[in-house]
Amino acid sequence: MVRSALRVVLLALAFAIATLVLGWWTVPVIGAAWGLVDREDRAAAMIAASAAVLGWGALLLWDASYAAFGTLARRMGGVFSAPAAVVVIATLLLAAALAWGAAVLGGAAWPRPQRRN
Amino acid sequence: VRRFARPLLGAAVLALALVVAATRVGPLPPLGALLDPARGAWALARTAELPRTATATIPGLHAGVDVRYDDRGVPHIFAKTPDDAYRALGYVVARDRLFQLDVQTRAAAGTLTEMLGKRLADVDLETRRQGMPWSARRKLALLDSASDAGRAFRAYADGINAWIDAMPPAALPLEYRLVGARPAHWSPINTIHLLNRMALTLSFQTEDLDRLAAEALVGRVAADALWPLNNPIQEPIQPVERRGPTVDRSRLPPPGQPDSGSLLALASIRRELATSTRDASSDDELAIGSNNWAVAPQNTRDGHALLAGDPHLDLTLPSIWYEAHLVVPGVMDVYGVTLPGAPWVIIGFNRDIAWSLTNTGSDVVDFYRETVDDSVRPSRYLLDGRWLSLEREVDTLRGPGSRVIAVDTILFNHRGPLTRQQGRWLSLRWLALEPSADLDVFPRAARSRSADEFMDAFAPFAGPAQNTLVADRGGTIAIRSTGKMPIRPGDGLGTRIRDGSTRASDWRGFLPISAYPFSRNPRQGYLASANQQPMDPRASAAYFGANWFPPWRALRINQLLRADWSVTPEAMRRFQTDPGSPRADVFVPEILAAVQRVERSGRGDSLLHRAAALLSEWDRRYTRDNERAVLFERTMSERAARTWDELRPSGSAERVWTPPSSTLYRLLADSGSAWWDDRSTANTRERRDDIVTASLRAALTKTIDAHGDPAAGGWRWSRVQQANIYHLLRIPALSALDLPVQGGPVTLSPSQGRGTEGASWRMVVELGPTVRAWGTYPGGQSGNPASVRYTDRLPQWLSGELSPLLTPTMADSLGRQHTSAVLSLSPRR
Repeated sequence: MVRSALRVVLLALAFAIATLVLGWWTVPVIGAAWGLVDREDRAAAMIAASAAVLGWGALLLWDASYAAFGTLARRMGGVFSAPAAVVVIATLLLAAALAWGAAVLGGAAWPRPQRRN
Repeated sequence: VRRFARPLLGAAVLALALVVAATRVGPLPPLGALLDPARGAWALARTAELPRTATATIPGLHAGVDVRYDDRGVPHIFAKTPDDAYRALGYVVARDRLFQLDVQTRAAAGTLTEMLGKRLADVDLETRRQGMPWSARRKLALLDSASDAGRAFRAYADGINAWIDAMPPAALPLEYRLVGARPAHWSPINTIHLLNRMALTLSFQTEDLDRLAAEALVGRVAADALWPLNNPIQEPIQPVERRGPTVDRSRLPPPGQPDSGSLLALASIRRELATSTRDASSDDELAIGSNNWAVAPQNTRDGHALLAGDPHLDLTLPSIWYEAHLVVPGVMDVYGVTLPGAPWVIIGFNRDIAWSLTNTGSDVVDFYRETVDDSVRPSRYLLDGRWLSLEREVDTLRGPGSRVIAVDTILFNHRGPLTRQQGRWLSLRWLALEPSADLDVFPRAARSRSADEFMDAFAPFAGPAQNTLVADRGGTIAIRSTGKMPIRPGDGLGTRIRDGSTRASDWRGFLPISAYPFSRNPRQGYLASANQQPMDPRASAAYFGANWFPPWRALRINQLLRADWSVTPEAMRRFQTDPGSPRADVFVPEILAAVQRVERSGRGDSLLHRAAALLSEWDRRYTRDNERAVLFERTMSERAARTWDELRPSGSAERVWTPPSSTLYRLLADSGSAWWDDRSTANTRERRDDIVTASLRAALTKTIDAHGDPAAGGWRWSRVQQANIYHLLRIPALSALDLPVQGGPVTLSPSQGRGTEGASWRMVVELGPTVRAWGTYPGGQSGNPASVRYTDRLPQWLSGELSPLLTPTMADSLGRQHTSAVLSLSPRR
């Protein structure tokens, strides 16, 4: 359990740093890589999605530590004709979808090692 | 199947996520870059406010520049040379208003499609066909790069580009993210584009074509009477030796026979060019205008000259203005508002003088009917019996990514661009398109030490002509309508489309400056302008223009200033949002008198009686809480529809043009005029009182339909008329809408129509031993919608309050308590 949590946190850190340094497109890249590396684990995609949400969530928290975040969220919500919270949730869902989909494909792209009985 | 289900689902989810993340889906921008929490739109929360301290380098800077932002977000720029000050100004404007700089310039350059796509192709094509980018290129080619203006434009561009190059990804404005664009580098021609755009707003008047349309319906004599060269109510800018306005209420000639044939064909031209709304009580009440006035020391409480100015323009977010203070010791110390995109203070003050501008509205646009060799694809035009070649410019309209959207061919002759309207070719001569040597006037004027010096510095200003009002610490006040005014052949008027086949139709030159309307230290002790006719026609026969703005604001300023012999800065501030209305003062009694006459003759009824009773309760002030202005305005609209039905072509619901309310005032003196007759009632000939009372009855019925019972609160002015300040992209979430304001049509702080125009800057300056000033504008210094400075001045603007403007002489004298941020700029090594 602790090990799984640690994997999520470390992967979240990777998502956050890569997004910070290179941009959003690193999420599916890292997600695919994770799916490939952890292809033995059927929960690999869920771990990737959770980590992406956590990583982007941390970055959003950093943004939210600035007073202007509330105004910005309201304006963004207005632009999309949606409540501010919906835009925040959409942000996290986008990260989750990119990471999950890429991890599933990453895991399927390479044959899973045969289990030894 | 189960083996492939999960990968297929994964592929589908990833594909969908990638599509919305990386591409535009319908109106949605690519969401990946937009929602990226590290460098996407969310990151704007981190850059919304200026950091307490920052440093930057700008190439070309000669020495360090200290920028101190005060607690209103105004940068005070302390530089060693003017060029360095302009570099710093470019940098700070770009830092606060980058998207605005870009989009405003594109609008004037006809390149909006490159950023916003092909839906703006018609707008860009219109801009290009008006010759604006063509003109900007000609002006740039003639600009001496070593001149003050040339150096200032270059320095300003350096500053903007330094910010673009150094801008962290997180600071990319939200609008770029929404439209999926990037800022382009700034070039000095962009400043010329911006000035051209301002000229378009202030001087591109197509009333020649409106007049033609009216002539086609009611004949030339009647049209000339409805839209006279001289306003029937005169309270000119250049004062005359009498107290109060003069009024001409002589009888109007009746509608004449419609002019037919070619006139009707030409009349349709205006359909394509005119943009104003036609359902108001009169077009002049929809016009953008401005106020400025100055009071001489003998009329002020403290014995110091006072000056106030409030230009009325489109209200936008971010605001059209950017406030700044530029200090170059021994050379320049000027405070005021700049247009983002131009390096100068346009309206402001220094340590000795203050100045403000209103638009003169002089006629600097003429159309000419051209004779061409081919009605579809002409290559030559006829001039004095000779065929001359047309200049041909093939213009390519590009969309995002440089893909070609449209190719257009624009023709020019010696007058300007040609347009084809209803099979006829018209050329346009418009002063604003012509190169001039006036680009240095603003910095020179800003360095003036006295009102006289200011007037000398401003003298070469080409246009669009401005009523330049100045006051100095010595107590001098002066005003001059400054700008080139064409001398035309023949009758000298610019109200007709001229024959383009002869040079004899061309302008003969320009009026000498001695002919400009001017006044200095008049006996009345004040000067005021509100876009009214600048000079009493009995004082000068020179033609400055026609179709002057309505006189109502001018009358009100004059009323207020005549009544106050001890004016204070506080009174000046109060006047700027005064809710009084000479228009209502004139028309309400006329309406009520008509009701009395009708009731006395036994033709009254309960509806009319009730309407009159409600209207008579009004104090004729457009306060937010008043509940009767709505009935008056509705009555005026109804009355316009009934009175000017002759100006509605058969089968059309719209009038081709609506006479000004001052013409209506003149008509009201003639109870039996043929204009009162309603054409739709064949066997009845209506008279004045029939129309006025029918309008009032209809107004009451319609007002109740629209706003409920008068006692239910729905008639409150704040619920009927609001200011609407739209974001430049008209995105409601980034706009400030439905704002209750004090003021109505043609009050000193006007609010009319859709409420999208109004006082864009308010300033009061006291020219005492130490100059003191107050000001505000609707919006805020920042263009970042997340910033508190995006709209922080709105409450103050709505309430008519002003902030003291700080004018530190040195960087350190601003004081810690007033310093919100510090920016240190240094040369790039």
